[in-house]
Amino acid sequence: MPPSSIAVRCADHSVRATLETWLTELSIAAPPGLALEVTVVPEIEVQNGERVFEQPEVGFLRRPDGRGLRIVWDEAAAVADLPAGAHAASVRLSVIAAAQLEQSLSNFFMAVVIMLLRRVGWYHLHAATAVDPTSRGWLFAGNAHCGKSTTAALLAASGWQVGTDDAAFLESRDGRVRVHTCGAPIALRPGGRALLARAGGIELPERGKVGYWPEDLGGVWTPLVSPEIVIFPSVGDAQTTGERIPAAAALGELVRWSAWVMLEPELAQDHLNALTRLTLQARCYRVTLGRDLFARPNRLTELVT
Amino acid sequence: MTDRYKRHPDLRLADVEGDGVVLHLGTRRYFSVSESGLALLQALEAPRTIPELVEVLLERYEVTPEQAEASVRQFLDTCRTAELLVEEGNR
Repeated sequence: MPPSSIAVRCADHSVRATLETWLTELSIAAPPGLALEVTVVPEIEVQNGERVFEQPEVGFLRRPDGRGLRIVWDEAAAVADLPAGAHAASVRLSVIAAAQLEQSLSNFFMAVVIMLLRRVGWYHLHAATAVDPTSRGWLFAGNAHCGKSTTAALLAASGWQVGTDDAAFLESRDGRVRVHTCGAPIALRPGGRALLARAGGIELPERGKVGYWPEDLGGVWTPLVSPEIVIFPSVGDAQTTGERIPAAAALGELVRWSAWVMLEPELAQDHLNALTRLTLQARCYRVTLGRDLFARPNRLTELVT
Repeated sequence: MTDRYKRHPDLRLADVEGDGVVLHLGTRRYFSVSESGLALLQALEAPRTIPELVEVLLERYEVTPEQAEASVRQFLDTCRTAELLVEEGNR
């Protein structure tokens, strides 16, 4: 596995090694020049600034100079400063936070990496990605519990290429949007696992899920997808149904699932432009996923023809 | 006194096949607007009077000046409610 293109600079060997291993496993083929500059300090002052955005365990504050972001971890004292335009995040970890580093990776450090990538034109979207047997790129955007992961697992089991079940990064290049993904297993809740009728997998106890690599299910991992079809799924009962929606309605949906677009005014227009371009290059559908899909995975492709 | 209107600096606009999507970074809300609404918001990048905004509609659509002014006033009212505007009064 090649080393990550996001550099880690830290005098603490253990912290640096943990972060480098995590970044390598994420397999993000980011443009060069991004860095995490990490220091471990005895203590960190309380951060009282205005929170402009929140997600579980992580807060986003305006920096004191009003430009860029300050990201804080709520579980233990850890602060990341990302000045406007900077390609390096300056991260301070308290000794306590450094001792709990593994717990900070999927929330605090992931948020820092997402914001760093935004500075080089990679825009995070809550979405699953796949490529069907005819080489068409698919993207499934939505929140937790909308069926992204179970669908990604089902498609992998049907021999599709699957990129991610949750973390997608949009990049505009040569007039098209392509979507990069992390190398992470498809994470299924017990319900999705039961529907898929699969044993095995990797226990992900902190998330209450079991992970499957696409290859475990009969598929192949793909790091890059150029979406031709965008689906906004929700979970229903019996039948899988869908309808095509106009590009403007699709853009409204994408804004919901790429909420970072509202942060850092100097980056917002380019982020919005990438979302807009995606709605214009793809056919967009709102789909209710039914249990029939497990007997007939091709129902999805039938819906979009 | 001539009131001049300008779109809020926290707005970001997208043109999607003629329809508009507007983000308000300050309130973190987003809105859909019609083609004519998008044209007005694009014009409101600089401060504009109501007659100037009426001209924007007259240049694009086959409507009477009265119809255009009524549309502009209604649109400005809607924008005011959603905090999409900055108003300036000039003597």
